[in-house]
Amino acid sequence: MTETVSTREATMAPPRRRNRMSAQEARTALVFLLPSLLGFIAFMLFPIIASLAISFTNWQLISAPSFVGFANYQRLFTLDPAFYTVLGNTLFFTLEYLVLNIVLSLGLAVWISSLKRGQRWFRVIFFLPTFTPAIAASVVWLLIFTPGGFMDTVFQTLALHVPNLLLDPKLAMQAVIIVTLWANVGYNMVLFNAALDLVPQSYLEAAKIDGASAWDRFWKIRLPLISPTVFFGTVMTAITSLQVFDQIYVVTRGGPGSATATLGFAIYQNGFGNYQMGYASALAWVMFIIIMALTALQFWLQRKWVHYDS
Amino acid sequence: MKTTAMLAAAALLGAALAGPAVAQDQPVTITWQMWGSDQNDIAAWQHLADMVSEAHPEITVQLQTTPWNDYWTKLPVLAASGQLGDIVAMQSLRMPNFYSLLEPLDERISADGFDIDAFDASIIGGMSNDGVVYGLPYDVGPWMMFYNKDKFEEAGLALPQPGWTLDEFKQAAVALTGDGGFGFGVVPNGYSIFAAALGADYINEEGQLDLTSTSALAAADEFLGLVTREKVAPLVAPGASPGDIIAGRFESGNIAMMVDGPWSLISKRDTVQFEMGLAPLPRGEGDLKAVTAGSGFGISTSSQNKDAAWKAIQVITGPEALKYLAEAGRALPARKAEQTYWFDVAAAGVEGAREALEYSLSHSATYEITSNWNAVENLFTQYYPLAMTGSQSPEQTMQTIQSLAQSQ
Repeated sequence: MTETVSTREATMAPPRRRNRMSAQEARTALVFLLPSLLGFIAFMLFPIIASLAISFTNWQLISAPSFVGFANYQRLFTLDPAFYTVLGNTLFFTLEYLVLNIVLSLGLAVWISSLKRGQRWFRVIFFLPTFTPAIAASVVWLLIFTPGGFMDTVFQTLALHVPNLLLDPKLAMQAVIIVTLWANVGYNMVLFNAALDLVPQSYLEAAKIDGASAWDRFWKIRLPLISPTVFFGTVMTAITSLQVFDQIYVVTRGGPGSATATLGFAIYQNGFGNYQMGYASALAWVMFIIIMALTALQFWLQRKWVHYDS
Repeated sequence: MKTTAMLAAAALLGAALAGPAVAQDQPVTITWQMWGSDQNDIAAWQHLADMVSEAHPEITVQLQTTPWNDYWTKLPVLAASGQLGDIVAMQSLRMPNFYSLLEPLDERISADGFDIDAFDASIIGGMSNDGVVYGLPYDVGPWMMFYNKDKFEEAGLALPQPGWTLDEFKQAAVALTGDGGFGFGVVPNGYSIFAAALGADYINEEGQLDLTSTSALAAADEFLGLVTREKVAPLVAPGASPGDIIAGRFESGNIAMMVDGPWSLISKRDTVQFEMGLAPLPRGEGDLKAVTAGSGFGISTSSQNKDAAWKAIQVITGPEALKYLAEAGRALPARKAEQTYWFDVAAAGVEGAREALEYSLSHSATYEITSNWNAVENLFTQYYPLAMTGSQSPEQTMQTIQSLAQSQ
């Protein structure tokens, strides 16, 4: 209510004065925004526009680019035998990883918030991998997964017949998902844990007195109250998982075959392996549009399950 | 206003005229783009950079090293952004891709009366494109078989001799496999070297990739069969550098034989805890075809100090520098006269090194590649594991690589 009133007051104020005020405020705001804005223009906006321009050329880095119209996009959708595999791999990875990440991080967050002591220690422990360099962590995982490596030895000792993850086209993506989960689950866990701590104790106590079980208290009080944070975590995780690259570059290089080649990896391979910058830029734009579309879809879906009434 | 502008212009002109005369002895710093990640390697290159300053006190060479695999990603990016160094290291196999970044050297060679014939002719060919020389080579070398002499003796096997055949190689590999150890290490992108040794044609007469020719398929079947049939080589995953993993297992004594070139001798000899030997690659029915590669240094077309860079590359590929590299075991000199230092010092204590090398060089052949060879090698790394696990037949895998390589 207060918001509506203040808006009305603002509309009723003399228009000239308001304009001058807002112009002055805008100038002040601009000065404060300038450092970040300059960085954004130089390192984000310009490269983004440049990549769109490059996607219409056949630039190969060391030769001069020439304009080829929509040829790159045409090749992508109609000629490239690998594109749909790559797209499928990316979506498969995103879906499985997103679900596992949210479930695991939420589970960990709830578990940690239920602890009587040592909450801080567990938070730090699970958050540690988040600030470990992804490449370094992936190299360690590569040595664990590599044929004849640690994992094979463990399974052999236990007399279990588990095929090597990196050699089986059906399982290779699971290796990438394990590495990514290990590295990133801590971030969402900390977010959710903080949100859970903000849920008013009085609500939970009231529900407890009314006889609500722990299960009910979670689904009907805590989860709805932290749903804006879960939504934020889901959107951000979906975006980063569509861009997955580091782990794949180190652990599988897109193989075996094309089993783990994702959009991010295909962009790298075409751009910096085969030096086809134009084609790689076209792929990057397709990835950009997919991310935009999926994010828009998530924002549309949030109306069904996100509660902002706290 | 006008006078100021004219004065400024005159001053600029004066500076421009005076420039070259002064620049002769003015200190100049030039950058050198080089690969290397190993401490031994980097120290060797730094020593060469210092040699330039000794010979030409006005020149300071700044060494910039990048690990081998990343070097080929970084190079075109630096070139595209105009930040390429003055001296650019180039491998013969990459020359078809990158010669346009380098200054043709023919005029400088004839103007200075530079003795190009002191170098091995095959590697001058490797440093050229369409008959024009773009770089001075520092090393040359055929791929050979590195072996663990201790393992051969333990197994009671005769050491491999020049002229040995594929069957003899396979018998040795089988005998050396067991107890968790392997006889050989298959590195997927080593297919072409192996295939060439057997005399297979994976490039057709028009110079196009032809991985599905009868002989290319037969070679793939032999190569992959070492993993699938004979089981004398471990499976490798498609992840980062299977070559490094195989090399690591060889050095730790887990794999008894691997294919590598003389350029790796220094790091291997200093790392391994066993006695090492060298043999030529095994031959097929006919004579051995030992493909060679080598590397050298060119001058970047974008360099501002081409004269200084030309002086510098003459020093770092000069007799002194190559003698140093040879004695350090870093490289088999591209200069014929200095090759003896490599035999006497670097290859000392390595069983059969001289015989293996002389035999290989006398059976040397051009390493035939396509201009997108980088992409082809990546495809081997990515797709060969499918054939190693039996998910696909060697033939299917070769067809896949062939079709993907053509679409790129």
